[in-house]
Amino acid sequence: MYGTDTLAVRDASFDIAKGEFVFLVGPSGSGKSTLLRLISRQERPERGSVWVAGQNINELAESRVPYLRRTLGNVFQDYKLLPNKTVFENVAFALEVIGQPKHIIRQQVPQVIELVGLAGKEDRFPDQLSGGEQQRVSIARAFVNRPLILLADEPTGNLDPTTGEGIMALLDAINRTGTTIIMATHDHRVVNAMRRRVIQLDRGVMVRDQERGVYE
Amino acid sequence: MISRISYALRETAAGFRRNMTLTAAAVLTSAVSLLLVGTTFLIQRAFDNLLVQWRGDVGMIVFVRPDASQEQIAFIEQTLKAQPNVVNVDKLQYLDKVASYEEAKRVFAGDPTTLSLLSVENIPSQFKVVPKSPDPALVRSLADQYRTLPGVQVVSLAEDEFDVIATLSNFVRAVTIGMSLILLTVAVVLIWNTIRTAMFARRREIEVMKLVGATDWFIRIPFMLEGLLQGLIGAVVSCGGLWALNQAWTNGVAGFKAGTGVSSLVVPGSYVSGVMVALLVIGSIAGAIGSGVAATKFLDV
Repeated sequence: MYGTDTLAVRDASFDIAKGEFVFLVGPSGSGKSTLLRLISRQERPERGSVWVAGQNINELAESRVPYLRRTLGNVFQDYKLLPNKTVFENVAFALEVIGQPKHIIRQQVPQVIELVGLAGKEDRFPDQLSGGEQQRVSIARAFVNRPLILLADEPTGNLDPTTGEGIMALLDAINRTGTTIIMATHDHRVVNAMRRRVIQLDRGVMVRDQERGVYE
Repeated sequence: MISRISYALRETAAGFRRNMTLTAAAVLTSAVSLLLVGTTFLIQRAFDNLLVQWRGDVGMIVFVRPDASQEQIAFIEQTLKAQPNVVNVDKLQYLDKVASYEEAKRVFAGDPTTLSLLSVENIPSQFKVVPKSPDPALVRSLADQYRTLPGVQVVSLAEDEFDVIATLSNFVRAVTIGMSLILLTVAVVLIWNTIRTAMFARRREIEVMKLVGATDWFIRIPFMLEGLLQGLIGAVVSCGGLWALNQAWTNGVAGFKAGTGVSSLVVPGSYVSGVMVALLVIGSIAGAIGSGVAATKFLDV
């Protein structure tokens, strides 16, 4: 599916239906992150194909990639917030740079900040927030454009278990709005607690695809 | 659309504030190089004024008395055409009084006293002769034949008038054009570097922008505008410098005695304005090229 000298993902074929919640599990280096990067076309496969929302994104012209990404939200282990912007500005940024007008921003951003449980903290800067709160900002930024799919790469990786549970509850709530969630993790606890579909990778090969699975 | 434009302008302004020192360096270098480009234009024009009478390999000018009769003029032309071995007959040119007066306006641009004494009535008309052979002795003997012809006022030889100036002009042109090209390149590279640094400083922001689906042009345009503005501001500064330089020069030349020929080194104001417009255009293009290359190359952060 994807390869340079060492293949990061060699053999992984699966379909994910709209509205599903899927865990990608496996040890470090098994290809979870690469799979997510293939879906957002930060990487391109050498062979094989990736279909998102009915189109083969490998054949997508470079100039169309931004429009693909507007249908995706990205959440990262290290949040990737902009330190010189407030919570509000960080979330608004995602709408601003795709050319959304001010009145849309003023209407959407407070809504989504409230949804992630940060109402009242709009004017804080990222370094004034806890890790869990920062991840909530990151989720708000990913979700504010109402993406079809939310891609989360180890979103609980830097958080303590209790805070991680809060984040998982938030992702679950977002999933219930119809947003598909694909989450890469090697956190047993969250996978076992959620009991959702699990796709397991081992050195680039898909070794398990199980409904309502556990980590193992 | 409006939100996009206001975003681009806000980001451009922020870029200037963030990067003061580098921006100042880029602007100043553009200003100095463009000032040199402008000076080259002015010097060239000044020399051209001096040499305008002799443009196109003219080697000899036969000035015909303003009161010469039609027959006398026709006779001079006839005899010139009768010497196809010495005179390039195809390039033989006759400037009547009106045309000669137009030319005089340029030659005496900086010498209004002399110019005011001339009019279409009292100005000599002229035959511009392009010699076939560059041999100075041959041209000189040709000149001697015409000095005594009826209706001829005076015969001037290019050799006497401007050989030194022409050589000097070519030398100065080569040096100033060379230096301005080098400095202009330096300015483009400095603008390129400023934009590269600005993009590197904001690589996290650019990464996020790409992930949430900002188009490449949306990311690029504020940076390109920033570079273009650096070039443009440099050009504005250089225009100021050029104006001051030309004022000082014009005043200096006015101090020379009239009729020495130095007065024709004055460049008319309309020409200076033209050069300024050219500088503004060159500055903007240099800025756009420098930043455009950087903004395209360093988008993949």
